[in-house]
Amino acid sequence: MFMVVILVSILDNSTSSDSSSVQVTSIATIAYTESSSDSFWEKLKGALLNSLAFVAVVTVVTFILVLLFYLRCTKFLKYYMGFSAFVVLGFMGGEVALFLIEKFSIPIDCITFLVVLFNFATVGVLAVFMSKMAILVTQGYLVVIGVLVAYWFTFLPEWTTWVLLVAMALYDLAAVLLPVGPLRLLVELAISRDEDIPALVYEARPVINHDSASRGGVVQRRVWRERRNVGNDSTNNLNNESNSNSNVNANLVLESNSTCGTLLSAGTGQIDTRLIIAEEVRNLDGDAEVTVPLIQDRMNVQLQGQEEVVSSENLMLEGMGLGSSGAIKLGLGDFIFYSVLVGRAAMYDYMTVYACYLAIIAGLGVTLMLLAFCQKALPALPVSIMLGVLFYLLTRLLLEIFIVQCSLNLLMF
Amino acid sequence: MTITAGIGYTLLAIGPSLSLFISVISKKPFLILTVLSSTLLWLISLIVLSGLWRAFLPLKSTTWWPYALILLTSIAFQEALRLLFWRLYKRLEDILDAFADKIAKPRLLLTDKLLIALAGGLGHGVAHAVFFCISLLTPAFGPATYFVEKCSKIPFFLVSAIIALAFVTIHTFSMVIAFNGYAEGNKVDQLFVPVVHLVAGMMTLVNFASGGCVIGIPLLYLVMMLTLFHCGKMVWRRLTDNPNRLVNSL
Repeated sequence: MFMVVILVSILDNSTSSDSSSVQVTSIATIAYTESSSDSFWEKLKGALLNSLAFVAVVTVVTFILVLLFYLRCTKFLKYYMGFSAFVVLGFMGGEVALFLIEKFSIPIDCITFLVVLFNFATVGVLAVFMSKMAILVTQGYLVVIGVLVAYWFTFLPEWTTWVLLVAMALYDLAAVLLPVGPLRLLVELAISRDEDIPALVYEARPVINHDSASRGGVVQRRVWRERRNVGNDSTNNLNNESNSNSNVNANLVLESNSTCGTLLSAGTGQIDTRLIIAEEVRNLDGDAEVTVPLIQDRMNVQLQGQEEVVSSENLMLEGMGLGSSGAIKLGLGDFIFYSVLVGRAAMYDYMTVYACYLAIIAGLGVTLMLLAFCQKALPALPVSIMLGVLFYLLTRLLLEIFIVQCSLNLLMF
Repeated sequence: MTITAGIGYTLLAIGPSLSLFISVISKKPFLILTVLSSTLLWLISLIVLSGLWRAFLPLKSTTWWPYALILLTSIAFQEALRLLFWRLYKRLEDILDAFADKIAKPRLLLTDKLLIALAGGLGHGVAHAVFFCISLLTPAFGPATYFVEKCSKIPFFLVSAIIALAFVTIHTFSMVIAFNGYAEGNKVDQLFVPVVHLVAGMMTLVNFASGGCVIGIPLLYLVMMLTLFHCGKMVWRRLTDNPNRLVNSL
């Protein structure tokens, strides 16, 4: 959430400074380079071709990833991820930094810049792949990687970006739900072997429930996952798998340091849904304000397939994923695509940004609820992206004129 | 006018709601959810309304009655939506209470219900502020400012921020009044809210006349004070009526 805002402000920054159109030739524009003088149908065709090419490349790469995983070349995958993270942080970060330096006229010399950049990138790689660092550092770096990748995506021409988003959403749907989809294969392989999926996963701060000593941790065996995938341009391929329960509001809620009934998630157990959990249990002396544990807990109960309540002391440790400290984990790929969506909306006007933002959050909520009902691997992209695109179009075409008309005449309701 | 002014206008419009959010709502995730969903609902209602009126916009007329029509339809629609929101909430409440009984925890208390209503209202108010005021503030962060002829003494951004503040308060607290009115079956309360909304909307029509905002905005604030006062009175009455359900921690 925070990172989306950063991204938007950075974007605004550079769109105002970039008067020349930067045409990035990458895989995504291989088929067609859009120019603004083309007619509507030309643009649409071109955009479709671009997206098809992109999705094709992503599919191929994902299959390769599955193959490698199957052949147990996990070391190789890890090194590759580290390398790509380094490149992202180093080169893309460097370019963005250059833009910023240009914009704000910061006096800095080459050598210092290079040294700083190199250190930054190295620490980033270490932070992301060895999870023993301070969690803020890791989180910060993941956010930065997401922001950088999303920023570069917005250099694509407009139509291509929108059609690409829709295409990725559809691909996501296919890759996870179809039995032959690469991501489903990957997930099932990982489950059957009880192994780590090397992936870029955002780990929220571990939340411990201080008040209720009696309520132990509840861990569920997450058998489903939301897949996040990010394809990238020719220099990078970040394939991110992630575990389910993206919780955009995780930061917000965690920071409030609430005494909400938190479910301690151990291992992979993501018990996210701070969004939906509204349990506030204060086992204090006397005045307890207890609100009803809400829908989420019911879902937890469903998940477990047991009839016990949240205060069960089931602590099944699952050794999957990177969250050994027992925290809520989110995937990076989805964040990136949401950021691309919002960033594109920012290039038009701020009203679209707010509308798309709300749409994405609503989509997330819907996805989470679907997760609880379906209990299997679900793609996180489609619902949010579809809602986001829809709201963007509606706002741009309908809402803006209405509001501007009313506001300029100081008519509000 | 500058970043400072831009931030100033933003805080003017949503400052109180922000503090309300941080102090009361951010402690309970369910309330955050309620705020988000009511914001979304308001946005959807706005989109539907603008879809309806799209064919007639932009209005070139300088008379006031097309705008009055727009206002009337919009307010009617939104009040209908409020009723729908209430129905949804009722069903949710039933589910929650049933669940609470199942796991032998206490049901929703009065303060909880009031808080949920407050969160819903806050969502509406924030949506109003964001879409009517803040999304237009982007030029305010730059080096210039903008004046409207109808109200030429103060910058447009300032006027819209002030109006937005009034409306945020009205929305937030009228939701509390409305929910309470529906819960108690109190006809006065139930009618109070739409009437207030309508009156407030019509006040802004006064702005249409040249120099009208000098009259319009204070009147609007009067309406806001009325809402606040009524809400306070009602909440006080509810809370002191049944002392055994009173909980002193929020």
